[in-house]
Amino acid sequence: MSNILETTLGPLVLKNPVMVASGTFGYGLEYSDVMDISVIGGISVKGISLAPRPGNPPPRMCETPSGMLNSIGLANVGFDVFVNDMMPRLRDAKATVIANAYGTSADEFAELCRKFDDVEGIAAIEVNISCPNVKSGGIHFGVSGKPAAEVTRAVRKATRLPVMVKLSPEANDIKDVARAIEDAGADSVSLINTFRGMSIDVNTRKPRLGVGFGGLSGPAIRPLAVRMVYEVARAVTIPVVGMGGITCLRDALEFFLAGASAIQVGTANFSNPMVAIEIIDALEKYCIEKNIRPSDLVGKVEMG
Amino acid sequence: MAIEHTNKKYLKTIVKNVETVAPGYSLLSFDCETPLLGRPGQFVMIRGAWGVNPVLPRAFSIVKAGNVGQVLVRDVGPGTALLCNMHVGDELNVLGPLGNGFIEPKSSRAVLVAGGVGVAPLVFLMEQLVPKRVPITFLYGARTANDLPLKVRIEASADLIVTTEDGSVGTKGLVTQPLVDVLKDPNCVVYSCGPNAMLEAVGRVSMDAGVECQVALESPMACGMGTCKGCAVVKPDGSFTYVCTDGPVFVAASIYGGEK
Ligand SMILES: Cc1cc2nc3c(=O)[nH]c(=O)nc-3n(C[C@H](O)[C@H](O)[C@H](O)COP(=O)(O)OP(=O)(O)OC[C@H]3O[C@@H](n4cnc5c(N)ncnc54)[C@H](O)[C@@H]3O)c2cc1C
Ligand SMILES: Cc1cc2nc3c(=O)[nH]c(=O)nc-3n(C[C@H](O)[C@H](O)[C@H](O)COP(=O)(O)O)c2cc1C
Repeated sequence: MSNILETTLGPLVLKNPVMVASGTFGYGLEYSDVMDISVIGGISVKGISLAPRPGNPPPRMCETPSGMLNSIGLANVGFDVFVNDMMPRLRDAKATVIANAYGTSADEFAELCRKFDDVEGIAAIEVNISCPNVKSGGIHFGVSGKPAAEVTRAVRKATRLPVMVKLSPEANDIKDVARAIEDAGADSVSLINTFRGMSIDVNTRKPRLGVGFGGLSGPAIRPLAVRMVYEVARAVTIPVVGMGGITCLRDALEFFLAGASAIQVGTANFSNPMVAIEIIDALEKYCIEKNIRPSDLVGKVEMG
Repeated sequence: MAIEHTNKKYLKTIVKNVETVAPGYSLLSFDCETPLLGRPGQFVMIRGAWGVNPVLPRAFSIVKAGNVGQVLVRDVGPGTALLCNMHVGDELNVLGPLGNGFIEPKSSRAVLVAGGVGVAPLVFLMEQLVPKRVPITFLYGARTANDLPLKVRIEASADLIVTTEDGSVGTKGLVTQPLVDVLKDPNCVVYSCGPNAMLEAVGRVSMDAGVECQVALESPMACGMGTCKGCAVVKPDGSFTYVCTDGPVFVAASIYGGEK
């Protein structure tokens, strides 16, 4: 890949601005039979906690119009297995790894991020203060500025790695949270995580998810995500990473114009595991044709 | 959980044939330039070029692998309806083979127990065992005579016992009734796929007879390859197992209890 797509997010330099979103690309390795995962701008791996987590009772997912609900509950192998079993193979595969971190308290976040600091081959940490599917931590840190800043400050002190904080669309005011995490030392901000939703089987009268509710993702949430990226990009000076329902080059361009310096592709990886690479190729062609870089598009929406 | 290298590929294929094999059941064949690999019990995730709705691909057991892949689709909702109405020449994206297949029998006989569309992976298994001269008893249960796709293909290769709930063909009743008799000679392995309630009943009958039983499960899933963690099933000890990577074929005792 030529370097026309090279993208700088504060201290983090990516070969291109197209990443894959946490929870939708596993640990990356699952896809290494199907594609060269080193081509992807960044792989935000499944949310990792200090200890392994089993996740929520099934059913954990169902499809909804142009989207899906999930209530996975951050099922993951835990820090040790990730670092010992997955990281060596991710390094071999030359993947750009973004560690998506989850903790139940600011201290736990800090401990986890301190440990990531010693791991070779991690490009950045994405601090998940926005998961809707866990009882403690998660979205509760992300709904207002104060707890969000507290976690960010703790993480900032614990690591020298670039810190990207991932926001919830369910924040009382997402601009406030974005400003708070910027002041607390975040290097970049990513958004959005999923919206809490519900779907009911009208025959059985039961919720279609085991725990009742789940996070909504996919094209259904794209206009909401674009609006929030636009608002946050105007509220902060740190780079914004946009996501929510991106499926193709057109959708990616929409996020750049709204103010995102980079994007993540989530649910669309399920529809087509090659989608991130297809977007990278299409974006490169587009930029060569127009003789621009992706950064020339950032925030360039023309409001009447 | 280990992530091992597999044979899976993301194939851009072309619909070769769509044959209605029973009312509401289509046998979909697709041309694969790179051959679709796969063993009986493994599955594929399939999606056509239909925009964003439905957004997710759909899981189907492989009926036939190679340069022409084949799956049997039962029309139960929007995704399967789109697939049943595909035309020759349409684009079809196929990810696979996924999951773990059936383990072939070491003992002398294979007893295949299908429920409805669950016949799909068992026809593949049958067609792999026939050339190896493994004796096969095929039990096929369905609601009505209209829910027995691929029956003719089975009759050509194996001893077939049919049961229907309404008695419109074969013996009236459930497939577990003839299974009890078949397992009086316990020197065999049972392979089963079908609705959950049937699989559990088949598993219990087999375990009671002291016969090894492998069941192919279904669960809603988004990725089919272990990344979304959506297809969890609860094991007897309360822990989770994943249909896509740990299965879809499981030893019945590991799911329904009674594992030694
Ligand atoms: C490993 C695996 C292998 C499978 N193999 C096959 C196969 O070989 N052939 C095949 O036809 N299907 C198979 N399925 C099931 C198939 O994936 C679903 O039927 C399909 O996803 C339904 O999609 P839809 O959009 O048509 O319906 P959806 O909108 O997803 O569902 C419509 C309605 O059908 C119900 N439904 C969902 N799945 C089933 C089902 N299996 N049987 C009856 N009702 C269902 C839903 O609860 C819902 O009420 C398999 C599933 C798995 C996990
Ligand atoms: C099945 C699933 C699991 C997810 N798991 C995580 C996670 O572990 N950590 C996280 O920060 N976000 C997680 N997300 C949210 C996505 O990373 C992304 O923010 C969201 O899905 C919106 O993007 P999309 O519409 O492109 O999917 C998950 C999403 C899905 C669909």
